[in-house]
Amino acid sequence: MNFCHKANALPSTSINRVLFFVALALVSGLGLSFGLHSMLVGHDSTFGTSREVPWGLLVSPYVFFACLSTGLCIVSSLAQVFGISTFQAIVPRTVFLAIITMATGLMCITLELENPWRVGFYALSSPHQSSNIWWKTTIYSLYLIFMVCNFLLLTLKKEKRAKVFAIIAFVAVTLGNLNMNSDMGLLSARGFWSENYMPLYFLSLSTLTGCAAILLFNWIGKSFSGQIAETKDDAALKATGKLFMVLLLGIFYFTGVKIMGGFYPQFTKNPEAMSLLVQGNFAPNFWIGEVGLAVLLPLALIFITRGEKTNILALAGISCLTGVFVLFYDLVIVGQLIPHYSQYNVVDLPKYYSYSPSLHEIMITTGALFFFLAAFILGEMLFKKIYNS
Amino acid sequence: MKGINLEKLHDEGVENLLSKERRQFLQFGLSISGVFLGGSILSVTSAKQAQGALSRGKVPVAEFPYSPHYTMVIRQNHCIDCERCLEACRKTNKVPAHGYRTSILERSIPIAQGQRERAFMPILCNHCNNPPCVRVCPTQATYKDKTNGIVLMNPEKCIGCKTCMAACPYNARYFNEEERAIDKCNFCYDTKLKESGGKITACAAACPANVRIFGDLTDPESDAYKLIHAPGKVLWVLRPEAGTLPNVFYLDA
Repeated sequence: MNFCHKANALPSTSINRVLFFVALALVSGLGLSFGLHSMLVGHDSTFGTSREVPWGLLVSPYVFFACLSTGLCIVSSLAQVFGISTFQAIVPRTVFLAIITMATGLMCITLELENPWRVGFYALSSPHQSSNIWWKTTIYSLYLIFMVCNFLLLTLKKEKRAKVFAIIAFVAVTLGNLNMNSDMGLLSARGFWSENYMPLYFLSLSTLTGCAAILLFNWIGKSFSGQIAETKDDAALKATGKLFMVLLLGIFYFTGVKIMGGFYPQFTKNPEAMSLLVQGNFAPNFWIGEVGLAVLLPLALIFITRGEKTNILALAGISCLTGVFVLFYDLVIVGQLIPHYSQYNVVDLPKYYSYSPSLHEIMITTGALFFFLAAFILGEMLFKKIYNS
Repeated sequence: MKGINLEKLHDEGVENLLSKERRQFLQFGLSISGVFLGGSILSVTSAKQAQGALSRGKVPVAEFPYSPHYTMVIRQNHCIDCERCLEACRKTNKVPAHGYRTSILERSIPIAQGQRERAFMPILCNHCNNPPCVRVCPTQATYKDKTNGIVLMNPEKCIGCKTCMAACPYNARYFNEEERAIDKCNFCYDTKLKESGGKITACAAACPANVRIFGDLTDPESDAYKLIHAPGKVLWVLRPEAGTLPNVFYLDA
């Protein structure tokens, strides 16, 4: 294989790139300013949530970015922890991506809280050990520190010490992910979540999104740096592409189970919710997002190109990431739309509760996404030598 | 084998049997959670198994876990939807207009083909023995009082994650924007219950039809105790499938 290293020929950070970063940061700042406004005036007048549907759009990017970070950490661990050298070339960028995705996720959930300023004090002074939220927030915060240490040691070329932090971070993020799914899956009040938040499904989805992000952002990173020729990263990306395909087939199976539950009540314990998802108001989300974008289109792109073209793999990655975001949105929202007293013949009780994200929620989500993109571009400018070493 | 002449046997009635059955039901209903598969550093339990544990993994106990063990019995078919209870609750507990601690649902119950019966069902926090809201709270802002079992709030500690709202199967919680904390029924713990020396809540005191009977499950002189232990009555709780072990009981008096 003809690896062509262009690290020395990389163009220096131009003013255009800095301007691009500033533009992304400004959009992020604009979006996040809506979060500050919500914090000041309260969510009652700024969020689309209600007593019946207390969790809104912002929970979805939190779950999405936290799971994405989990997946990125798992893939980076294939090289760092399990010693699979094929993936070694993409480790620094993957670790950096894992850091900024988790930071983005934690920022989303912070802005989703009504009183985030109380978290630091009471999470430490009044911890609740049977609360999954307490565990996952604690674990994710520690994980973020471990990953930062891991990345710093990688930049200092101290691989052995970095590996120690990689192992700890890998264990931590797996535990965090299990608490993430249990947080919702153990709520017996919302049967839809209990049925769908299975640990295996959640870990598979996380790893899938990690692979998709690696395929997408490595391609963007190379394009951003002006690298056109094949590099040693390509072998790692093609290996990631294969893992991505296997996981897509696994998720395709889970999606099939959802489809069966949506059409045939005997396959589900929550026929109302599954029907709403597969045949009701959420059907466009499900069929276009969860089935088409998340699974079928990426699978088709990989099969057509046999997983050889990194630009097509990147396209499959962005399609999958978009679809999985929709999937998490559906999972969070649909789970809350079944009325609490639906079995009691209550007069004027709607068949489903309703929820629509407000302008504030959409802007905060946009701000978080642009925060992530700005951080990624900043990383490309600051760490390009490390990425290409 | 000599046959039994049924006609000559004395009719003992069903009351005694029902009473025993009822005691067993109550004992089951008041059992406390045993092996709990909630949050942990290694929360590997699949949701399905955990849901099973929430509803079945309990250790029956011979005694009530609290003393006094506060309860409310709702005599559903006495309710006329006058909403005086709601008004009393609002005034007593300074409940803002955007929320409520208790409500009344109108039901249309099918009783025969083409026939329906209207009923009014007051709802409030069930002060469950296995409260999912308490389990999920990351800062112990909501907790079960160790003495009387009332599910209480410490608004100072509330971070506003609203997980307790998502976890409650009874829609009994709301976010109080003025206090910037979750608010819920606390059996008037700091208001009417305190004033009355633990005897009554504002909603129960205001009810003209004696629908809401507040009392102590450990006190045989309590009206609630008597209603629950009266023979020949069928009691039920709301959403038993959630495995919460409620302390609010319903009956048609």
